[in-house]
Amino acid sequence: MTVYRRGLRLLRAHRRAVAALAAWSVVEAGQAFLMGYALARALDAGFLAGRARTGLGWLGAGALAVVVGAYGTRRVYGGVAALVEPVRDQLVRHVVARGVREGDGGALSGLTQQVEIARDTFAGLVMVSRSFLFTAAGALIGLCSLDPLLLLVVAPPLAAGLALFVLTLPPLARRQEAFLVADEEIADHLGRICPGLRDIMAAGAEARVTTGAGVRIAVELRAARSLARWGVLRVVCLAVGGQLPLVLLLATAPWLLAHGVTPGALVGALAYVTQSLLPALQNLVHGLGTSGSRLAVVLRRLTPDPPPTASGRDGALRTAVPPTDSTRAPQTTAPPNGSTGARGTAVPPTGDGPRPSAPLSHPLGTPASSGHAPDAGPALSVTALTFAYGPGGVPVIENLHLRVPRGAHLAVVGPSGIGKSTLMGLVAGLLEPTSGTIQVNGQPVHGRAAREEPAWIQPLRGPTACEQRVLIPQEAYVFTGTLAENLGQLRPGPVPEAELRAAAEAVGLDGLMERLGGPAAAVDPRTLSAGERQLIALTRAYLSYAPLALLDEATCHLDPEAEERAERAFAARPGGTVVVVAHRISSARRAARVLVMDGRRAVLGDHEELVERSPLYRDLTGSWSHALTASPRPARSGSRRCGYGPRSCA
Amino acid sequence: MTTPADTRTAADIPAAPRAPLLRAAARHSGCRCAALCLASTSATAANLILPFALGRALDLLLTDPEGARATRWVLVCTALVLLLAMLDAGETVLGATTNARVTAWLRRRLVGHVLSAGPRTVSRFGAGDLVARLVGNAAQAGTAPATAAALLAALAAPAGAIVALWLVDPRLAAVFLGGAPVLTLLLRALARDSSRCAARYQEAQGRIAGGLAEAIGGFRTIAAGGTADREAARILRPLPELSREGRLMWRVQGRAAARAVTVAPLLQIGVLAVAGVLLVHHQLSVGDLLAASRYTVLATGVGVLVGQLSGLVRARAAARRLAELLTEPATPYGTLHMPPGQGRLELRGVTVRRGGRPVLDGIDLTVPGGGTLAVVGRSGSGKSLLAAVAGRLADPDDGEVRLDGVPLSALSRDALRGAVGHAFERPALLGETIADTIALGVRAASVDRVRDAARTARADAFVRRLPEGYATRCTDAPLSGGEVQRLGLARAFAHGGRLLILDDALSSLDTVTEHHIAEALFRPSPGSSRLIIAHRASTAARADRVAWLEGGRLRALGPHAELWRGAEYRALFGAGGAAPEQCPKGSPGAAGTEGDESDAFGAAGPASEGGPS
Repeated sequence: MTVYRRGLRLLRAHRRAVAALAAWSVVEAGQAFLMGYALARALDAGFLAGRARTGLGWLGAGALAVVVGAYGTRRVYGGVAALVEPVRDQLVRHVVARGVREGDGGALSGLTQQVEIARDTFAGLVMVSRSFLFTAAGALIGLCSLDPLLLLVVAPPLAAGLALFVLTLPPLARRQEAFLVADEEIADHLGRICPGLRDIMAAGAEARVTTGAGVRIAVELRAARSLARWGVLRVVCLAVGGQLPLVLLLATAPWLLAHGVTPGALVGALAYVTQSLLPALQNLVHGLGTSGSRLAVVLRRLTPDPPPTASGRDGALRTAVPPTDSTRAPQTTAPPNGSTGARGTAVPPTGDGPRPSAPLSHPLGTPASSGHAPDAGPALSVTALTFAYGPGGVPVIENLHLRVPRGAHLAVVGPSGIGKSTLMGLVAGLLEPTSGTIQVNGQPVHGRAAREEPAWIQPLRGPTACEQRVLIPQEAYVFTGTLAENLGQLRPGPVPEAELRAAAEAVGLDGLMERLGGPAAAVDPRTLSAGERQLIALTRAYLSYAPLALLDEATCHLDPEAEERAERAFAARPGGTVVVVAHRISSARRAARVLVMDGRRAVLGDHEELVERSPLYRDLTGSWSHALTASPRPARSGSRRCGYGPRSCA
Repeated sequence: MTTPADTRTAADIPAAPRAPLLRAAARHSGCRCAALCLASTSATAANLILPFALGRALDLLLTDPEGARATRWVLVCTALVLLLAMLDAGETVLGATTNARVTAWLRRRLVGHVLSAGPRTVSRFGAGDLVARLVGNAAQAGTAPATAAALLAALAAPAGAIVALWLVDPRLAAVFLGGAPVLTLLLRALARDSSRCAARYQEAQGRIAGGLAEAIGGFRTIAAGGTADREAARILRPLPELSREGRLMWRVQGRAAARAVTVAPLLQIGVLAVAGVLLVHHQLSVGDLLAASRYTVLATGVGVLVGQLSGLVRARAAARRLAELLTEPATPYGTLHMPPGQGRLELRGVTVRRGGRPVLDGIDLTVPGGGTLAVVGRSGSGKSLLAAVAGRLADPDDGEVRLDGVPLSALSRDALRGAVGHAFERPALLGETIADTIALGVRAASVDRVRDAARTARADAFVRRLPEGYATRCTDAPLSGGEVQRLGLARAFAHGGRLLILDDALSSLDTVTEHHIAEALFRPSPGSSRLIIAHRASTAARADRVAWLEGGRLRALGPHAELWRGAEYRALFGAGGAAPEQCPKGSPGAAGTEGDESDAFGAAGPASEGGPS
């Protein structure tokens, strides 16, 4: 069983903790040894010989062993902690890493429940097996020292019981596991049903759902019954290993007594059997079967891949922060040369003025300034891209070709579910294309080059695709921490405050930043509105070094003015390329080029071309606003009432 | 026919059998419990006789090893040990199967009840708590009958042991009883001090879990930014504290265990010392000493009794939590079938109170057969509740809802649910596969029916793109909020019926998709009527009439074009000063305030984050 193999590896890894645990276990087991021995001596040398004082003395020694043993017990817990807590830490690390990488909500229950179950069952396993080992050793040594003949009577049935237990362990563990799986299945099933009670009632599907739940309950009941029946085997193990020695001791007593075993030794042997061996065996038999399988099940859930290595499955997710960033460090620490005021003017407040032809120097380190001039290719180049979610699914994107030059502003439009977010996910490296290639600033997003490269190479070559683009999804990520931490999340080091403030002003976060109390203020995502969270995510992306910004409906919770301000800020980043999955027509009209996604086809063009060429685009813009075609230039831009900024883009 | 008064008495009925839930469960496994009680009591009896027999056998073996009496007592001991093993086996099987049976019985009964009580249980308890009760508490409560059956034996063992000790020699019993209070005091002291570090441990764990929950929500951002390692490191910052508190917990537990393991052996040594002195004075035999030592061990088994009692208390507490679920009454259905009709819906004086406050207040509304009625209003005005009452997902406190002249409460479940279809803002994806979830309300749905419904709901295209198409498991389908909404619509279309209720079921759709679905939805259909909770002016504009709710009352009722003349009505759609002519019927000209998605296109809708509020 892999659990046991893993357990052994773990014990080897924590040799010192194991040694300490063993040492204290010996102290604890002294009691098991002395209880029977002292009793035997107290009888033989004391009470049966008429010397009450000697007898009491031996019993006193036994009492002392109890107290010393109790101290040993106490320290044993510390030893178990030294073994269990690192494992728990490792599991927590693993679960968190997996949750962060895979975005799997199941990681949460893994963290709060399954890790705890693993911790408890693992500790239980260590406790029980160790306790049996040392208690049995203590008792057997005690028996031997009373009279080796006693060992001859007690050891064989004990060994037989143990062997039987070991033999029954695999089938018992299988049944235990079947039961646990059935139990989890019930929990999963009910977890899906309970939030949908309204839907079930509305559909009149109560009977059907009840039947479905009933089937799972019946499966668990069957598993529990089978487990209970196999439980008889445990009783047999106990009877053979623990009770049979008692009977044998009595049956062979005449022979033992005739061969020099003293009455005290016989009583001592009976005490060893009933008070040390039987309870220890009981704990072992009941504890090991249950916790072993429970631990196996839980560990399989927590660590689905047998070797728990740190690398994620998706190559694109691997890239961490570059380990050494000497080339960028000066950039980061240098004071921003564009002042706050200058940055502010980069975005015309009304959005109506001409775009600054020569943007004020970008205070952010761009890849161009990072020492590796990525001169190859356009900002985004998509070649023959095809993607399907699975072998049984129709492709979402088929044979798409797209080239976005540097500094361009592209809007992607189409009905929901058509594949716009999928395209963004592909460019961002979240999804692997079925075929075709994607390059960001000449760097491949997928494939070997983007994946299997040792970390030490990173400083030696140009930035990876991962560093070249930043994705801002619809669901903005804001974590509990300071605002500065949130904003600087995509930067290797801390971001100077002036730069934070300048970025906030450019994107439109300044109001919220003031309200919260500056960059150092703590942020609690739960107290922020969806729009405020989006502003934080946008500013974070703005501060990143990535020249290609992918806004996947990243402004859907903002009002049109705020959206415009944010989008213009991104468009104004020098060398900055923006791809926007448009949420409003205003957003699409700001872009020079529009990609219309219609099923598997896609059409690229500017507004006028598309109105002519794409019926879907006409449909979209038509249903967006009927007023738009009637009067393309209403008096006020960013009109709140109609929700589009109808000024056409330069 | 059920009047509201009936409903209220129905609410009171299940409150009564609160206590008897466990009794009913025990009755369900009555024979087993009796057998268990018998087996465990017999085992206790055998356990109490065994030390005496051991003692006699030992004495006889020491005096006359080959004698027939000695052999007889050895045989008695052997028989007792064998009997004990058999009883133990019986007890193990009986106890475990009884627990399993009772748990399954409780779960079946409660799942059935929760399903028939419907969404009220969720809104009262919360889905997570509900699952916890049905899974965890049912398993705990399921152990109650078997534990109770074994209680007599658990009580008899220490009591019988003390009596037996007294029979061996009263002075031994006195030693034990003198030392026992120390035992209880020490055991009690250790229960206290472990809770503080446990709380700190959980607090650190909670901080890690909180950070992880946030990061899982922002998974796309993190993955695209390649910052997973940094995020993980940040989230794991409280880990050293967790580790520290964890070790502390073990230490506290170790101290407690050390005390626990000291007391019983020391008591035993005390008894043995007195017995030894008595042995020296020939007032006891070696066999008596052995028996006394065994009885002392049995008597300290009072801890087992305490454990069993606290287990029973826990099981009863769990049963109480289960019984709380029963206080939410099952929805009673009538027996009538639907008469022929076109789905004429009438609400007469419908009032619903929540927490003593009327949430719907004397609503009178009629949707003519084959007609469409849109319901609009600010959030909190009672729109969703109106939709629920109209389809009998909730019952009104006062007033009546009729469908084609028949009160909803008089209809049989099949007649009612067959006649009324629902679609929701956030449908739950139930069933194994996407096809299952669309066919939820249809018995033996054909593939064509499912596909047609999906096509009408504009869901067919994206479903076919899923990894396994219609056979994709719901849990594996990467769906946006708008896509889930369309599956819910497909479910309603597949279901059919003479009344279709849409509770904000178009809110996350882009305008093009909404337009196509609305075409199908508002197509004149003489056989069925529609009640549509709407957020967008475009939707309201297509309906025959619009009911405007405000604070649970009907503020106005009329065609959209008529109501649109009022500025306050326009303000509902965030279209403050827009002239009425600019937003003609069929055009979503009135557009959004922040958060509203009325002008959205390609908007998948907020998948997990709060939508328009």
